[in-house]
Parts: sequence; C-alpha cells; structure tokens
Amino acid sequence: MGEKIKIGPFHPELEESVYFKLVADEEGIVKEVEIVNGFIHRGMESLVTNKNFMQNLILTERVCSLCSNNHPFTFVLAVEKISNIKVPLRAEALRVIADEVKRVASNLFNLSMLSHLTHSHELMKDTLEAREYMQDLKESIWGNRMDMSVNLFTGVKYDLDDKKIDFILNKLSIVEPKIKELQSRYENDETIRERCIGVGILPKDKALELGVTGPVAKGSGINRDVRVKAPYSLYAIRPELQPYIKHRDGCDVLSRAMARFDDVIEAIRIIKDVVSDMPEGKTYLEKRPHIPKGESVVRTEAPRGELIYYLKTDGTQKPVRMRWKVPTYTNWEALKVMILGDKVENVTMILNSIDPCISCTER
Amino acid sequence: MSKPTPKLFRINTGSCNGCDVEFVATAFVDKFQLDKLGVELVEDISQANILVITGPLTARSEPFLKDYISRLSEPYAVVGIGTCSVTSGIFRDSYAINGPTDKVVDVDINIAGCPPRPHSIAEGIAKGIKILNQKASGEKVSKKIDMILQGFEAPKTFRGKISLHVEMCTACRTCETVCPSGAINITKVGDSYEHKVWHNTCCFCGNCGFFCPTGAIYNTNDFDTSKHQDEKYSDINLEYIKTDVCSCCKEVYKKPTKGLLGKAYVYDDVNKLNSNICPKCRKKENFKRMYS
Amino acid sequence: MSTSKIIKSFKETLVDNCSIKEDCDSYGNVSAWIKLESKDSMSSVANIVKSFKGRCIVATAYKNSDDSHTIVYHFDIDGTIFNVEMNTNDNMFFSITPTIPSANWAEREIREMYGVEPMGHPDTDRLFLDYSIAKGVLNEYIPLSKLQRGVSETDIMWKKVKKDIDNG
Repeated sequence: MGEKIKIGPFHPELEESVYFKLVADEEGIVKEVEIVNGFIHRGMESLVTNKNFMQNLILTERVCSLCSNNHPFTFVLAVEKISNIKVPLRAEALRVIADEVKRVASNLFNLSMLSHLTHSHELMKDTLEAREYMQDLKESIWGNRMDMSVNLFTGVKYDLDDKKIDFILNKLSIVEPKIKELQSRYENDETIRERCIGVGILPKDKALELGVTGPVAKGSGINRDVRVKAPYSLYAIRPELQPYIKHRDGCDVLSRAMARFDDVIEAIRIIKDVVSDMPEGKTYLEKRPHIPKGESVVRTEAPRGELIYYLKTDGTQKPVRMRWKVPTYTNWEALKVMILGDKVENVTMILNSIDPCISCTER
Repeated sequence: MSKPTPKLFRINTGSCNGCDVEFVATAFVDKFQLDKLGVELVEDISQANILVITGPLTARSEPFLKDYISRLSEPYAVVGIGTCSVTSGIFRDSYAINGPTDKVVDVDINIAGCPPRPHSIAEGIAKGIKILNQKASGEKVSKKIDMILQGFEAPKTFRGKISLHVEMCTACRTCETVCPSGAINITKVGDSYEHKVWHNTCCFCGNCGFFCPTGAIYNTNDFDTSKHQDEKYSDINLEYIKTDVCSCCKEVYKKPTKGLLGKAYVYDDVNKLNSNICPKCRKKENFKRMYS
Repeated sequence: MSTSKIIKSFKETLVDNCSIKEDCDSYGNVSAWIKLESKDSMSSVANIVKSFKGRCIVATAYKNSDDSHTIVYHFDIDGTIFNVEMNTNDNMFFSITPTIPSANWAEREIREMYGVEPMGHPDTDRLFLDYSIAKGVLNEYIPLSKLQRGVSETDIMWKKVKKDIDNG
C-alpha cells in the first residue's frame, strides 16, 4: 500500500477549494486519485428559478467571475432565440468587444498562476501587470473589474463614443507587445520548460472520447472552438472575425499554455478590428421585452471552452428550468487521465493547466 | 511589546472566484501597497494570525472551516472579503448555503463589494492588521477606524455605493424588483415611503440604475466599504419619499415626477398636468376634458 | 456528414416511437429536437450517437406537475446539437454511460438533484451535493430555508437592519 496524501480543501496553491485524496508509491508517482467536489455548490439551478429574468442577468454573471461575461451572453442568446428577437448590429459588435476583453484577462490570470506554481516570481508579476491594463479598461468602460454587467435582452447596456474607442486602442497598443514578449519568455524559460514539457499528457484519442473543449482540446490538436464550428453573434455575420487556431499537438501543460496565448493574441486582433469599424445603430430595442413560452439550447465559446445553456420558459416572469454545462464539467474527467502515472508534486500544476473553474462546474 | 508580523491565510468557502482573483492581484501587484504593510502569506493555518475569508459558506465547506479555525492560535483577526462573506450576497436562501460567515466565526472587518476593488481589499487588510496589533498588545479594539491607505480614486464610471435623488423617485419599486440580492427595501411608513438600500448586501451590479424609469437611483463611485462588524446592519442609504394630499378628494397619493409625466404626456404642457390631483381624480378630469 | 443523414438514421431505428423537429437560430445554426415515446428507446439512441462518434454534452432534468420527470439529453454529433427528450414516472431510467462515457456526470447529477436513479451507472458516489442535504432537492419549489424556519434568511437580515434604523 502506498502513501496516502491529502491536498486541500483550503490550500494556498489552490485558487478554489477541492479535496484531493492521493495514494502514491515510494517514488512519489500517483497510483490512485480520488477527488472530492462540492465545496462550491451553491444551488444556482434552484436559485435561478426563484428569481425573475432581470435578476437572472446578474445572477448568471456570478456563477464564476473569470468567465463572467459568457454566462449572461449565452443566457440572453437563449432568451432571444425563444422570443425571436433580432439584435441590432451595433449591439452585436459591443457584445463581442466585451467578450474578447474578458477572454484576454481570464487567460492572462491562468498563465500567471502557471508561473506562480513554478515559482517564477518575476514572470508572474509581469503577467499580472499586463493583466492590469485590461482590468483598468474594464473599470473605466464598464464600471467593475470583474463583473461587467454588459448584456441585456435585446442588446447591451453600454455604448462607446470616440473618446472611449481611443482609450481602448491606446491600452491595446501598450499591452499587445508586452503579451508577445511574455509568450516568448514562457516558451523559452528554463524552469517552465523543465516543469511543463511532458507533464500532464492527454493523448488525442482520449481527448476525443472524453469530449474536452477549449485550450485543453487545442493543446492536444483538436479544434472545437464554437466561434468557428457553430458561429454566433458577430462571428457569424463577419466570418473574418473568427479566430485562427494554430495546430498544437504537444498534449502537455506547455501546449495548453501556448494555446491560451494564441487565444489572447487573436482576441486582441478581433477587438481592434471591431472597434475600428463600429456599425451605426441602436444599442438595444427595449429594456423589458415579453418572453413567450418555449425552450432553446444555445452555445458559445467561454475562455475555457464550450459553454451550453438550456432554457425552458412558460411566459411568466421566472424561468421554468435553466441548465448550463460549463467547459470544466467535461474537462474534469480528463484530469484522472493526466494525473495517474505522474508525480505528486505536479498535481496542482496539472489542475491549473485545465484552467479549472470549479465554481462554474458545481454551480 | 513588538508588533507581530501579519501572517495571512486565505479560505475560500464557495465564492465565485471574483474576490479570490482580486485578492491575488492585490497581493502581487505593487501599486496596491499591500507589501508596505509587511504581510506574509503562509502555507499552514496554524502559523497564521490573519484569516481572510471569501465566499457565502456552502454546506460542504462548513465543517472544514470550523476545523481550520480550531487550529488558529490567539490573537488573530478575521477579515471577510466580498458581499458573500458578509451576508451571503446574491446566493442567500439557497438550500446549499449555511452562511453568512459570522454564524461560524467572529468577524472583525467586513469589505462589501462584488468583487471589491483591490484598493478596498488592501484597506480592509490594513484595518485588520491594526485590530490584530491592538489584540496582541491587550488594548481595547477600536470599532471605528479611519482610512489608513491614501491616494486612491476610482474612475467616474466605477459602480460604487448606491445613492438616490429623492425628488426624482416615485416609489414605483422597479429597483426593488430588479435587484438580484435583495438590497433595496421600500416600505410605507405613515404617510411617506421609506427607501432603504443596504450596502452590505448590494452586489454593485447597476441593475437598479439602468432600469429606473426616472434616473432617480444611481451608482456613485464611492468604493470605501471596509467597515467594522459592528456597522454591518447600519451601513445603509436611507431616504424618505414624501407623499401629497389630493386637492380634489383629499386622499394621500404620490405625485408623479416631472420625468415620468414628460414620458407619458409627450404633447401636453407638463406643468399644467402636474397639479395637485391624484390619479383617480386626474382620470375623471381628463375624461371630462376630452369627451364632454 | 449532413444533419439529414443522421436524422434519417434516427427515423429508421426508432420508427414510430419518436417525433422529430428541427429549428434554426438567426445565425444559421441548426439543432434537432427528438421526443421519445418510451424511455426504453434511449439505448438505441445511444448506439446511434456512438456510431456517428458523437458526444453527450450534458443532460437536463425537470419535474412536471404530475410528479413525473422529463430528461433531455443534449448530444453533439459533428457540430450539430441533437436534443433527445424522454419521460419517466417511476423515478428511474437506464444509464447510457457504459455506451457513451461523456454522460457520466450528467446522470449522477440527475440522481442527486431529482432522486431519479440511472440504473447501471458505474459510479455511486455523490457528485456535488453534500451528504447533509437529502437528494431530490430540486423537486422542491420553496427555498429550503423558508421551509424549515417559516421565514427566509433575507427576511431575518432585514429585520436587523430595520431594528438599527428604529434605534437611531
């Protein structure tokens, strides 16, 4: 019998609470793994049926603060599909800008956690400083550093004028070269290469069978990006905005980190493109539309992968049933494949590489 | 007696990550001045003397939180970050929430916000350290602490604490309906309406300001929410909306504001219509005017 | 692979035991809705999905007014979403996890949130729900705190705020 090791549930290296019960052999290789979840289960699916649609716009944002724009985005797309509402073009553009800004900030945070776990302190500080530019942008344009409160049932709640557009372009021009430099540093740093290459391998066939999405799939050479496979919003109307996905088949922690950098750089390109050519028009049609009876299923691409919403309504002010599946839900089972056979000291690193959003998963 | 080094341990009891991510940013980005306070982050709870708690206290994390607290040694200070740790915030009344945090541990400083600005978090931790030093040296713990860290200002667009333009409010209760965390409560007290906003359960989402038909309720950019636990239930915005007496039937009613009348009667002279008669009497007068 | 070829395959296997309709959103994304007459047809559906190398994204369940439950599986076959709906009125259904491993967590959640058992599922542990809470918790319409105490946590807190106002 090997050595029993417990990690968590409250641990400084774990962003969120999860309880690992590991059994390792004398060489420190993990032989058995049991993961106990449920620390962040708040009963959201019951809460959303007790609140009306306007309140749910805000409640869905707080499922998880890191992908907090995608949840209300998908929610309003589901409602608009049931009500057959066509959103004005300017609102579509404004939605995409907010979404991509959030994607950059979220991915940069995960990358800074990677350098934190390899104890590359300088690199971590530089990544967090780069992220601060995006946080300042969010605070000045939308009013909050994490929960932007952008989406509304027939459009968006905010607008951009020339001054704000210049502000965005200015911040992006400062941060883009920094990110390109950071990518090069991550790829060539000795410590990171030693601790990330060949660690947490997820073979391509396993990835296909388990149905993983997002950067985890991209790191194993599978492209399931919803913006490309089933485009929505402005990505469908202007296909040149769809991100270009580089082929990466390292299948390890470094591959996934590089896939996230690719997403960030593509996101900056998309923001610059949309902001420089904003369509004219209204930002919303009406504040409180009537929502008829119906059901719909909609999916979008969150920073971590595919996010899907199922919504059933009956014409009243509260939804009958709302269910969502987040990217980490499917990516989680891949953890068992990655952790078994690898060293105990790599466990938190591998967990961080799937960019777990346990609060999204457990709701 | 020399001051103890502040050693910090963070516990996440089920938060949405917002407060934790902002805490990481506060700890590692220099401009938020946390390093000036000499804070050390520790790996083991038994070494800590400042406990930072985020999250609304889910059912599964409750026994573990109690266990971890039992391993702390006196003196220690507890700082709750985020609206969820103060009042369970937006997740209150769920079957899986056993919070808020002060049911299980004595909290010293509360920092409301969803998530609070790093400047607020740094301020709250600074106040926590002051309380820790007072406990360590046996002094009386002060309940009202002035701002410690200076030189911060939020941009004008920041969604901070709620305020109300009383003269523009018609007590229509739209803000109460769209508030997701039950932070707004409007009740009739005698002949006026009491409009209460409780900051410690507000999630600073801006829904009330956006849906308000007259623009009466709005977010200021005041982000200073770090307060002592004693002020938990008294940190509110309280306004009284006066009613009027109808000059026709002498019933008590709420006069519509100029903003609302302007939206309803686009072609008529608004001032003329805003005379002191209640809706029932106004209906009768308009019917007479149009059909007799 | 075209959507119509996959739908044809469903029709040929299920014959009269289902009704199928398609819808399209304003961006041109098609999804199919298949309603099964009997929950026993689910195993044939799972085999078809597996043959087309599809995956189960998630499954939703909800309780109806006559105390029966409806379960909707959401499959992704080659980029198109197929929603398969079935009813059960005896709190059980046959698990498709042995055929399609990606349905693992979704079925476990249905068990603990609604008390509807997926027979033949390889995992018996609780997923997210703490053992201190009885399973079937989403079957209730009133928040549990209100049910237990007669008044919700929100009301209790606001009483304290009002007391503070009255005391000045």
